[in-house]
Amino acid sequence: MTLPFFFLEFMTGLASAASLFLLAVGLSLIFGALGIVNFAHGSFFVLGAYFLFALTRGDAAGFWHYLLLAVAASLVVGAVVERVFMRRVLNRAEHYQILLTYALLLIIEDLSKICFGADYKSIGMPKGFEMPVFVLGIPFPSYYLGLVGLAAAAALLLWLFLHRTRYGTLVRAVTQDREMLEALGVNVPLLFTVIFALGIGLAGFGGAVSLPLQSISTGVAVDAVISAFIVVVVGGLGSIWGTLLGAILIGEIQAFGALVLPEFSIAFTYVLMAAVLLFRPWGLLGRPPAVRT
Amino acid sequence: MRTKLAVAAAVLAVLPWFLHDYGMQVAIQALVLAVFAMSFNLLFRNTGLLSFGHAACFGAAGYTTALLVSKLRWSFAATLPLALVAAALVALVIGFFSVRLTKIYFTMLTLAFAQMLWAVTHKWYGFTGGDNGITGLLPPGLLGNPKGLYYASLVALAVVCAIIHVIRRSPAGYTLRAVRDNPARAEAIGISAFEYMVTAFVLSGTLSGLAGFLQVAWQHSAFPDLLYWTTSAEVIIAVILGGSAEFFGPVIGAAVLVVLEAVVRSHTQYWPLALGIVLLAMVLFFPSGVISLFQRRQRREAPRAAA
Repeated sequence: MTLPFFFLEFMTGLASAASLFLLAVGLSLIFGALGIVNFAHGSFFVLGAYFLFALTRGDAAGFWHYLLLAVAASLVVGAVVERVFMRRVLNRAEHYQILLTYALLLIIEDLSKICFGADYKSIGMPKGFEMPVFVLGIPFPSYYLGLVGLAAAAALLLWLFLHRTRYGTLVRAVTQDREMLEALGVNVPLLFTVIFALGIGLAGFGGAVSLPLQSISTGVAVDAVISAFIVVVVGGLGSIWGTLLGAILIGEIQAFGALVLPEFSIAFTYVLMAAVLLFRPWGLLGRPPAVRT
Repeated sequence: MRTKLAVAAAVLAVLPWFLHDYGMQVAIQALVLAVFAMSFNLLFRNTGLLSFGHAACFGAAGYTTALLVSKLRWSFAATLPLALVAAALVALVIGFFSVRLTKIYFTMLTLAFAQMLWAVTHKWYGFTGGDNGITGLLPPGLLGNPKGLYYASLVALAVVCAIIHVIRRSPAGYTLRAVRDNPARAEAIGISAFEYMVTAFVLSGTLSGLAGFLQVAWQHSAFPDLLYWTTSAEVIIAVILGGSAEFFGPVIGAAVLVVLEAVVRSHTQYWPLALGIVLLAMVLFFPSGVISLFQRRQRREAPRAAA
């Protein structure tokens, strides 16, 4: 293994980390605020990819402007799902929340099969990234770098929103103490709708921008949601930077694991997940739960 | 209750004489899922722990049987003890580590362990056949013909129900529920919550292994799907659909789920959509499960009869 090869493998891992981050960050955000474990999260990721594919009709020429539309559609879907379904189970036992989101997973899977067909969808490299770049003399898809840039931009914007705006402060506050926020006159139900829609929008965005990288079919959702669980559990449920760290770790483990021991590279990620849960259940960068009296 | 049980047992005992081939397949699948669901609920009902790792026990037993039969040419029935031991060992490892955690962290850790086993099985072509699975396992004799397998599954269900009934009424059962309802108080009077919960996990996992063994006997094959997280999701659905608070709720849920699937699939390929809608309706409108539909009507009718 030469150094350039090593570096390219690292970049490939980083590209899948970018995709994983966008997929998982919404899950983490939603769990932090609403306390709901969303088993349908992978389905919204896939749905975002389908939206983009349907809008562009599989032609990469319209990628960038239809991307905005696909994300807008995901935001709307998220808001509607929160209003119609999620708020009814907010205060219910967690197995009902799991069952409800699992029901959504099943429904979205079949509805997208009906609307878009069961075959694999993929799209070419978007405008501006058609040509590979040469890294140390080896061609490398430039879009991989673009994807990493997009995910980094999304992480930065999300951080600015959460830490530098008033509404972002409310989002962080509701993860700490919902009753207090309600007592202060904040419209918490609306806040929940915004957070859920934002989380789903991010997943949809992630699905859409990952489409040039990996072809998508309805069956991808059940795998994607488990990948998202691994990432947020490793990084820490409810932590943005934790999710970023988790995504990078998992992306790189998969990239290099496939080189070293291809038969067990998926198993490695579960080993990491189990180890984190055993020694730091709140995740690498998560905060230990405060004991509430 | 006793007469109802006797009637249900009598109906189940003569059922094979009224079903044709496809009906028998559906009935056997329902019984196998019922065994799995009862076993799962042993843990869920008595400890409140929602495990996403039961597919590991189910699949470990199934694969033990499949591997012994295909590689070492064991007879099908002779693999049962080892299949149960495999399920028990898997349950011991998962339970030992997982019951230290609570709520969603418990669920996630059991999920991680089960997925680990799935990932290895899925990729280890040299030993498990990977995602090609192990096929062509035709059990000879009793387990090979539908009627034989039906009665074997029925007996298995009866045994599992009897074991769970005894546990539920035993001091250990009460202790488990005490731990579930107030772990701090239970610890304060000297109960080791950890030991009781691990024991419950192992028992529940071992009995799930019985279901895994029957599943492989029924489908004549073993695939990594047996270990995948959706298998755990399916048994959770059966349990909650039937009603986890009622003793026979999981059996009802398993029967409803399997029969509904057979009916829907004979009309349309969109079974997941139908199941999703049923689950949505259940969570939103009758959260205590199908079994509560009957009870509520009884309660509503009772005062009218009195008046």
